[in-house]
Amino acid sequence: MSQVLQRTSPTGTRTTKVIGALALLVMAWVVVSGLILTPQDVVQGESVRIMYVHVPSAWIAYLAFIFTAVASASWLISKKHSMGFDRFAGASAEVGVMFMAITLITGSLWGRLTWGEFWQWDPRLTTTAFLFVTYVGYLAVRRLEGSVEQRARRSAVVAMLAVLEIPLVHFSVVLWRSLHQGATVLNPNGDVKMDDLMLFTLFSGVVGFTLVFVWLVLHRQRTMLLVDIANRQGLDAAIAARQTESLVK
Amino acid sequence: MDLSPRASEPSRKPRRWLPIILLSLVGVGGIVIVTQFLTSAIDYYCNVDEIGVRSGCEESTRLRVQGTVEQGSLQKSDGKTSFVMTFNNKSIDVVYAGDPGGVFQECISVVAHGRMIDSTFESNRIEVKHSNEYEEKNADRLDSSGSAACSQVQG
Repeated sequence: MSQVLQRTSPTGTRTTKVIGALALLVMAWVVVSGLILTPQDVVQGESVRIMYVHVPSAWIAYLAFIFTAVASASWLISKKHSMGFDRFAGASAEVGVMFMAITLITGSLWGRLTWGEFWQWDPRLTTTAFLFVTYVGYLAVRRLEGSVEQRARRSAVVAMLAVLEIPLVHFSVVLWRSLHQGATVLNPNGDVKMDDLMLFTLFSGVVGFTLVFVWLVLHRQRTMLLVDIANRQGLDAAIAARQTESLVK
Repeated sequence: MDLSPRASEPSRKPRRWLPIILLSLVGVGGIVIVTQFLTSAIDYYCNVDEIGVRSGCEESTRLRVQGTVEQGSLQKSDGKTSFVMTFNNKSIDVVYAGDPGGVFQECISVVAHGRMIDSTFESNRIEVKHSNEYEEKNADRLDSSGSAACSQVQG
């Protein structure tokens, strides 16, 4: 398999290089603005700076899981069952799990500084942890034995069920009483109570993380394609070898 | 033995939408159950005005109570922190064995873990429940107000 991978072209293209460069540029701005330019919060002080990583990573994780569901549905519905949809779903879920892990880690650190606790089983934290574990399960399902079609079918069903958790996570602070704060930007009133530079830096973070997400998914789904090709060629070679063996006997 | 190819049986067209619709119904059903019927089991705390009134907020049990630290009520002595916690025009006296630290201050929402003993809530854990408002720290305003959270409340 490694020989096949070595023979193929790299996964980067001009487009991914541009996206990568833009991502670096925007993330550099977020670091400078988030750590130096933005003011301290009147109540939370310096700890508010965790927000510029925590919130964008949560939003991008949601986005990644929604893309996974859409790609999975496209695979199920389409007549051709294009494996491109399946690979995109898998790649998006992997990157989404990474962003969800960042959300949980940064949220835990922020919680220690404000609530005084790293973790509490309140509705938002519990549903978020459940979402994370569900998508780790989704990735495990993708690695079950079977053909690529079986993999695609099983994981598509799981993805379409798992995505239903996202509204539950997002509205958990509205539906139930939670230690976690209510939504600031996506609140039902539409009245955003946040300092202008803080808000701009937060949105810069969202743009930067989105670019990182796109860059990672493009590369990952191409490496998945290479692995699928390598597996198929490996299988073909094994069948040919067995046929040759039987002819010799 | 007849080895001639057999005509294939007419195959039924697979119903691709059926599993999706069924899965969606199961998911939506689950969400309705969780959001409509499990609310009291999932809520993280009782509000001050619900102690002894709401199911699950009985005075005899260990509680998590949410309210705002009343301005001017915060006192620290002998390693204990005492304050008045208010919500919806109802107040209780809270005594916490220790210093909550962190961003704990007057006018801020907190969740206190503990028990009601002789009309005082004796707490052994305080969690600060910060708001969804983010405002630039202003040294001049803080000097005059005394508490950052109070200045935010007063605007």
